[in-house]
Amino acid sequence: MGYFLFRRTVGLFLTLFAVSIVVFASMNVLPGDPAITILGIESTEDARAVLREQLGLDEPVLGQYFAWIFNALQGDFGVSYSYGVPVSELIGERIPMTLSLAFSGMALTTTLALFLGISAASYHKKPGDWGVMLLSQLGIAIPAFWLSMLLVLLFAVKLRWLPPGGFPGWDEPLSAMRSLILPTVALALVQSAVLARVTRSSALEVIRLDFVRTARASGFSKSRVLWRHVLPNALIPIVTIVGLQFAALVSGTIVIENVFYLPGLGRLIFQSISNRDLFTVQALVMMFAIIVVLANFLVDIAYVLIDPRLKGRSN
Amino acid sequence: MTLRQLPANLIIGAILVILVLGVALLSTIWTPYDHAALSISNKFQGPSFAHLLGTDQLGRDVVSQLMVAAGNSMVVAVTAVFIGGTIGTMLGLLASAKGGWVEDLVMRLSDLGFAFPALLFAIMLAAAFGPSLPNVVIAIAFINIPVFARVSRASANQIWTREYVFAARAAGLGKIAISRDHILPNIAAPVIVQATIEFALAILIEAALSYLGLGAQPPSPSWGRMLSEAQTLMYLAPQLAVYPGLAIVTAVLGFGLLGDGLRDISDPRLARER
Amino acid sequence: MIELKNMSVNLGIFSAVRGVDLVIKPGDRIGVVGESGCGKSMLALSIMGMVPDALSTVGSLIVDGQELIDAPESTWTAHRARTMSMIFQEPMAALNPLRRIGDIVAEPLLVHDGLGKSAARARVIDLFTEVGIPQPELRLRQYPHELSGGQRQRVLIALALACNPRLLIADEPTTALDANVALRITDLLVELAQERNMALLFISHDLGAVSRATRDILVMYGGDIVERGTTQQVLQEPAHPYTQGLIAARPQISQTATRRKRLPTIAGSVPALINLPKGCRFSGRCPRELAKCASTRPRAVTTDQGSTVMCHLFEGGTAQ
Repeated sequence: MGYFLFRRTVGLFLTLFAVSIVVFASMNVLPGDPAITILGIESTEDARAVLREQLGLDEPVLGQYFAWIFNALQGDFGVSYSYGVPVSELIGERIPMTLSLAFSGMALTTTLALFLGISAASYHKKPGDWGVMLLSQLGIAIPAFWLSMLLVLLFAVKLRWLPPGGFPGWDEPLSAMRSLILPTVALALVQSAVLARVTRSSALEVIRLDFVRTARASGFSKSRVLWRHVLPNALIPIVTIVGLQFAALVSGTIVIENVFYLPGLGRLIFQSISNRDLFTVQALVMMFAIIVVLANFLVDIAYVLIDPRLKGRSN
Repeated sequence: MTLRQLPANLIIGAILVILVLGVALLSTIWTPYDHAALSISNKFQGPSFAHLLGTDQLGRDVVSQLMVAAGNSMVVAVTAVFIGGTIGTMLGLLASAKGGWVEDLVMRLSDLGFAFPALLFAIMLAAAFGPSLPNVVIAIAFINIPVFARVSRASANQIWTREYVFAARAAGLGKIAISRDHILPNIAAPVIVQATIEFALAILIEAALSYLGLGAQPPSPSWGRMLSEAQTLMYLAPQLAVYPGLAIVTAVLGFGLLGDGLRDISDPRLARER
Repeated sequence: MIELKNMSVNLGIFSAVRGVDLVIKPGDRIGVVGESGCGKSMLALSIMGMVPDALSTVGSLIVDGQELIDAPESTWTAHRARTMSMIFQEPMAALNPLRRIGDIVAEPLLVHDGLGKSAARARVIDLFTEVGIPQPELRLRQYPHELSGGQRQRVLIALALACNPRLLIADEPTTALDANVALRITDLLVELAQERNMALLFISHDLGAVSRATRDILVMYGGDIVERGTTQQVLQEPAHPYTQGLIAARPQISQTATRRKRLPTIAGSVPALINLPKGCRFSGRCPRELAKCASTRPRAVTTDQGSTVMCHLFEGGTAQ
């Protein structure tokens, strides 16, 4: 286990290093002048030169990269060009919003998907199964932002039960939660459609195994057999997809935050693009990539926690 | 195999895909109106014989816009999946043929590719070059490379152990020639299945990006941007927020079902489980 | 305690088990023998109420005076583990690989008997001792893959015994084990059955194990019980041609060690369910077949020696 963790952690850092190079390169090395991007084509060459010097763009690329990494490791992502405050401050203000949305979305996704997937598997080849499969097929095809709009149309415009967007902050926990409901549902419905299918097919694989028969012979109820015996054994492929989905969910927040006007990282990244705020975009893309890589790292660790048989093998 | 024995998802998927592709093709030669023609006096019309789905806030015909948008969406999906699929498949074939450190390198690089959701990559490009349709194509193509590299490598590795490949090697054929003559034709099935599914995803991503304003720029219509425009008018004309979404669902569902169906008939072992 | 009357397990119009009568009383030790695919396991599953969904059970299956033939799953779950319990052939596959064996065996105690954690733990240690697992306290925390095949089968037996069932069905319990381990497991089952006055339904194609473990025997072929009687009687003086074939096909140590004589076998193999003949199921493979065998189903007849045979050869009284 110790060696396994060590190897994975080294792998994690190598990946993060590679990710940082890709992010930096696509922003700085690819043909394109950040000064033009920021100031626009109509700007004078003098103004661009001044800006380049301000941003440290006139230094050698390698030096720029290491300066960026070195400062980033100390939590310094530079100063936002458009907001005039440190990028780290901007991120700090908005990260709770995005994380609450991502985690509530993930929680709802997993709950819904496990419930639907396991039910479908237990009613294999019966109407309940077909129903779940049909719903999930449809769910996969619906863009999250359109679903969001439909939800707003129904629950905010027609019924007026929930706010159409905005976020009052966690100082008012009740209305904060109310305004998270629709975004969470919009994020989760689509993702759970994918996960429910994986859960179903994984559970169907397990249901045929002998120990399920043993559990039935031990007089356990159908639901106990499904949830306590089948599900844990079906978890490995499910966890893999959950890891990938967390990545999809986090990038999904970029879209959803824009639909519901939620002040999180996703909206910030989007505004930064409109403002041509290179440093902020660079830092945010890096943040998102880190979250995705971390999620996959955690999935690898989770495998070993789920299945005791892997412990011996990975050493 | 007769038509009756084909799986239902394949048939429904094929019908939807033909519908969408047909409309997209038709839009290149004919639309009821010029999709960009403004007519402020005709704004927010309901459905009628003149305008089957009504008009938008600038009096543009919704059907015509949807049709042209279908064309744009298909062009983006086809180009992006084709570019990403070709590069990815070639990398996968190379990895499988060479083995050793080449294979390791390709696989590690594809891991890296998975760290960037398409949306993020498109945002990066938009930040560096400004938003445009080619950026969307590049972003979608990029995230398709690792997907196809994996699928083709896994399938190719199986083919390399077949007798006829041994025979070809014994006959003195080089690895490149074997990959081209023997491996590629035999991994076509899984690659095509994957391409169909990636097509569906590409349509979704294109829609999301153009919804965010990172895709097709006005006046070129796209389903995603039609939706973002409709969002601001939700209280005035809620119906405008419905049609483009239905168009997206039709296209994505069509390619998704078609991909599933193709997989079912090319791999009957999987079909029984579904 | 358990009574089957004219019970069949059908797949559409085909029968995997055909019109079986069987009474199981406390302390009975009944062996069920026959080739693979002859309906032994299906008979066992039907007594557990665990026949696969595609098949249907008809006739009468009475447990403690209660008719269970069409009983809902909830009635069956109330009986399983407490009235009857079952162990299976492949002990590795039959144990949940993700759980510690202590937790596996404790689960029915917690769920059915309402024991607390520590009481259940103590009971599991008792059970492990009873089934001969050494150092039970240490074993509790082990996973199935860390045990040997024989130990796994013992864990499975402990699990089956946890709620003191009155009938234990052992479906090929020794097939996957080494010969000497198999012997010890067989003896353990007999010992446990005697100590607990528990009925044992011992399903096996290993006649040696069956003769060691059981008092009575059922010989099954094609879903029919073709011969039944005391184990001793049936194995020593088999009446039905199928039983005779089974016994003749059994390897004997003296034979294989000295002369490499070819083992006699029963010609052909068990036909698939849909190809079974209508009359006597054994017709077509039987060396002493009569004209009517293929079309007419023989009645069960009691022989002079006291066993019951389902064969036209005996319908006149004794063998013709």
